[in-house]
Amino acid sequence: MRICRIGIRNFTNFRNFEVRTGRNVVVVGENKVGKSNLLFALQLIFDPSLSERDRRLGLEHFWDGLGDDKLGETIEISVDLTDFDVDPRLVAHLGGYLIDPGPPMISRLTYRYQPMASLEGQPGSLADYEYLLFGGMYPDTPVGSTLRRMLPLDLLPALRDAEKDLANWRRSPLRPLIEDLAGTLSVADRDAILDAVDGAQAALSGRPEVEAVARTIGGRLEGMVGPAHATSVALGLAPSRLDALLRALRLLIDRGERGIAEASLGTTNLVFLALKSLELDRLIQDGERDYTFLAVEEPEAHLHPHVQRLVYRHFLETAEVDDEDVDEDPPGRAGDATAGRHVTILTTHSPHIASIAPLRSIVLLRRQADGSTEGVSTAEIPLDDAEVDDLQRYIDVTRGELFFSRGVILVEGDAERFLVPAFADALDIHLDELGISVCSVSGTNFAPYVKLLGPSGLRIPFVVLTDRDELPDGTVLGPGRVRGLLGILRPGRDYEAMDEAEVFRRGALRGIFVNSSTLEPALFATGMRRQMVRVLKADLPLRRANRELLDGWEARPSTLEPTRLIKLIERIGKGRFAQRIAPAATAERCPAYIREALERIRDEVA
Amino acid sequence: MRLRSTSAAYLRHAGDLADNPGQQAAYDSRGHCVVLAGPGSGKTKTLILKLARMLAEDVRVPQGVACITYSQECTRELKRRLEPLGLGESPNLFVGTVHGFCLRHILMPYAHLANIGVPRQLAVATSRQADVAFKGVAERLLGLNQPYKWDDMGKYRRVHLDRFAPDWDTDPDLARISEGYEAALRRQGLIDYDDMVVCAHRLVSAHDWVLPAIAARWPILAVDEYQDLGVPLHRIVTRLAFEGGVRLFAVGDADQSVYGFAGSDGDLLLELAERQDIQRVRLELNYRCAGRIIEASEYALGETRGYRPYDEERLAVIRFVERPGGLADQAAHVIDTLIPEALAAKDGRKPGDIAILYRNAAVGNAFADALTAADIEFVRVDTGAPYRKVELTSWIEDCAAWCSGGWRRGRPQLDGLLTRWVRFRTGLSSEREANKAKGLVTAFLMRNRCDEGLAAPFVAAIRRDLIDPLAREEPSLHDQMEQVHRMSAAVKAGGKLEGLDLVGLGGRDGSPSHINLLTLHSSKGCEYDVVMMVGMDQGVIPWNNESAAELRESRRLFYVGLTRARDAVHLIYSGWIDGRYGPRYFGRSSFVEELETRLLAAGQDR
Repeated sequence: MRICRIGIRNFTNFRNFEVRTGRNVVVVGENKVGKSNLLFALQLIFDPSLSERDRRLGLEHFWDGLGDDKLGETIEISVDLTDFDVDPRLVAHLGGYLIDPGPPMISRLTYRYQPMASLEGQPGSLADYEYLLFGGMYPDTPVGSTLRRMLPLDLLPALRDAEKDLANWRRSPLRPLIEDLAGTLSVADRDAILDAVDGAQAALSGRPEVEAVARTIGGRLEGMVGPAHATSVALGLAPSRLDALLRALRLLIDRGERGIAEASLGTTNLVFLALKSLELDRLIQDGERDYTFLAVEEPEAHLHPHVQRLVYRHFLETAEVDDEDVDEDPPGRAGDATAGRHVTILTTHSPHIASIAPLRSIVLLRRQADGSTEGVSTAEIPLDDAEVDDLQRYIDVTRGELFFSRGVILVEGDAERFLVPAFADALDIHLDELGISVCSVSGTNFAPYVKLLGPSGLRIPFVVLTDRDELPDGTVLGPGRVRGLLGILRPGRDYEAMDEAEVFRRGALRGIFVNSSTLEPALFATGMRRQMVRVLKADLPLRRANRELLDGWEARPSTLEPTRLIKLIERIGKGRFAQRIAPAATAERCPAYIREALERIRDEVA
Repeated sequence: MRLRSTSAAYLRHAGDLADNPGQQAAYDSRGHCVVLAGPGSGKTKTLILKLARMLAEDVRVPQGVACITYSQECTRELKRRLEPLGLGESPNLFVGTVHGFCLRHILMPYAHLANIGVPRQLAVATSRQADVAFKGVAERLLGLNQPYKWDDMGKYRRVHLDRFAPDWDTDPDLARISEGYEAALRRQGLIDYDDMVVCAHRLVSAHDWVLPAIAARWPILAVDEYQDLGVPLHRIVTRLAFEGGVRLFAVGDADQSVYGFAGSDGDLLLELAERQDIQRVRLELNYRCAGRIIEASEYALGETRGYRPYDEERLAVIRFVERPGGLADQAAHVIDTLIPEALAAKDGRKPGDIAILYRNAAVGNAFADALTAADIEFVRVDTGAPYRKVELTSWIEDCAAWCSGGWRRGRPQLDGLLTRWVRFRTGLSSEREANKAKGLVTAFLMRNRCDEGLAAPFVAAIRRDLIDPLAREEPSLHDQMEQVHRMSAAVKAGGKLEGLDLVGLGGRDGSPSHINLLTLHSSKGCEYDVVMMVGMDQGVIPWNNESAAELRESRRLFYVGLTRARDAVHLIYSGWIDGRYGPRYFGRSSFVEELETRLLAAGQDR
């Protein structure tokens, strides 16, 4: 099962919000854009621990943009669920709330906070409001607490106190494990343990030093209230019942030397998450639950980036298992009873988390002009499987930034990745401040990225910097590439029929900028050539002929042989070469196509 | 560790089944099972224990067991017997009529997704609305003297299900009237009881996706009195069971099929029992009737069933009584001789252990008048009864039972009454409102506890405080309100039930001081020490000019009457009946004639 759509109206940051979602949901967005409010919206529908009072909202929960006109408005949160057909228990929960019989079946659950239906006239205050929780299309089909109990949302808040939760027996995720343990001990085992503890207790409390302390206390008691009122005291280890003994078991770390209270925050959180994962397994196995929506707010808190990736990959991947596979028990997954039985919902600032999130799971929140938050997601971008794999492979930690960017400059390779920021600085366009990322696609396959960022994707402003690429035989590759991208960005035109100039002109209108050949010769045409020649001479053991050749090119740029220049640069490595010449970047030396691209993206994110 | 969410009280009673192989086999069945249950064979006990077992062992919330019964009265009886097992109002047990099941669990959740012409807001037509619509259409089509009655159309609709099959036009007049009638109801946003089943059938047969949805929610379907349920339900049941994977547990007795005039057909049960994929269980031991009554009933039926008495020693009386003075003479004999004799024959026997059974209301009226004149208290159940049993009237009766002493024993349970009350409302989704409604009802019931009150003020009060305000908000209850109005009229001064006390209103079974007066049809499922079958004259049972099939059904009706008796059966007749133009001498009932002949022959053989 998965959530396939979330709709929110008039709630906190959300005026009229709708987003389609994939199997897991990884919510990314800037501070205050409404990530926590999105989770709260889901809690209103799914969280069994929310009370009646919690579900009665306050004025502060209405969309901020309503100003003084909040009374009278209706807050509505709806969630569509799908892909549950394979599990009869889930169908039993949700089959009564269908909005589309499918296949696949889609059911809808709705929370609505509205002026009471029986009310005549305008509501005077929130006392005239009621909330409804209903399924399907009509509010006369209430959703009962059974659904929340068996398909609950578990929220791990950002500033959770894992240590305290572990210490509190009632709330501790350790508790059920220990309680199960008690059930597995035979009578003989239990007796043996009790005997051993009694023996240890006798040995300890029987020591004269211990008895002396007890006598001291007893003496003082008697001195205070006299023998009639003083109770007799002894020192011992308290619990002698087995259940209480087991309950006294504590998690120890570092080979039993330290208690969890002494662990670092990171370790505590890690242990907490491991126990939580075990608890999910157990709840499903015991039939207490049929499904869990596990919401983790800012999972990056307290965890080392490397550990973040490992832990959340575990949660996200177990949830990605297809429902059909649930009953099989592949060896490597033994014990993962929750596989396919939970969905993970994360909110994060961390590119580390975003980089391991399944591509289809990203939900991007961002503020619109009217102050409300819109959501875009990767769930239904028309990418084919190969493109998804391609993106998934390429979105590493650095590229994970892409989801947090206000604008993206897509470039072919490392050379541009080093040089473009240098030129930007020189042009007084500060990419970091503007929230613009430079992202290398390591080649010329821009299409998946353009789909990801483009109008039917995340709608993040972007520009593409690419080479015209004229081959020795005269074939020019650039126009074909641009035609392909134009076909994605603005389909329905016959780009094949247009000549190169027209294609490039239209490309530039859509943010695709092409040079006259390739990057390095283009740079050579600018004032950068001096630095380029200097670096080549310094870094390569060159024969005299080559040195003279370089000098000749420098003196008369029109004599440049691009192929030979590139061969020389490749001996250093394009990326490294670019790093070496970057300090020489100035505004005047910036090739025109790069300047146009930078100015465009600057204006778009402004 | 499996959490038990249902009561295990059934385990205490399950041992009782061990000495009855049939009951035990039914109780142990794992797949589809049909129980062919003769009279007095402990069918209801078997059914409720099996229901309890399946609830505890085979399903888990949100999946459940649906038990479909023939009438509101049967539903109430089953619920009454389930309550001591802790299953009065379980969330995953549905006990209700065919109509209730079709409406609540087939049409309401799914019909709006299937475009089968059923309005989303379903209001049930009152009988007056239905009658007006029927007359309007029939008279428009066939003129003022059109020969059809509403019931003719009803049966036609129940028997000819497929509107596109040639047999829909078997009677073109009825087909046109049905179509016009349904269209007229739809125009007013109404649906009638037959529509519910017919539309549910249409939905289930034409839309495959409905099957898994229903099967997930109700993986087990139990049907009581299968022989009475008619073709549409049979088709729904077989589709769900054999194409939808629902497990079927059906109970019935084809010999007691007496609703052929309404479209039911005992052969459907036998057809089901013949299937290879169904376990067939026969309950042959009769706990109710003395041996000689069983013998007599098989003679009357004209078939040997091989039923055996549980108590071989019990003696029985079967008497043939001719009262040539007509119904008045019969009544006088019953009142002056038979009732006093019956009461004297056994210590502790009460009027409530005696039943007077008859075929038609005319006979019932004669006896009701005579009993009233003789100042003998009685309870009458037939279509001539002051009001029909619907959910609302049953609820009022049960409230009366609770207030008049039931609260001391927890019979009926308060919680059940409250749950039923809340369910009368559609779209009451907030727990707060539900709790408020429950609080109101509880306060009312506490206030109105009274051991020796009259029914009239109680009904007036419950209507004023609870029922009438509810009905104003819930148009869906309008058809039931008709019966509530009739209930009020009946208990008021001058009404048929004037002077009825609260205990009497509280339940027909709960009143040992009242003689039972009921039609043979209504006597199904009941049992009495002494049965007096009155008006057993040719021309009434059977009617004159019955077809072969009708004759067989009349015979079964006669059989049902005989098998109600534990100890004694009196067959009373005059040899003539009242005709429109005076008495008509057709002799006593041919069934009575035959029975006496066969009993005599059998007696001579011994």
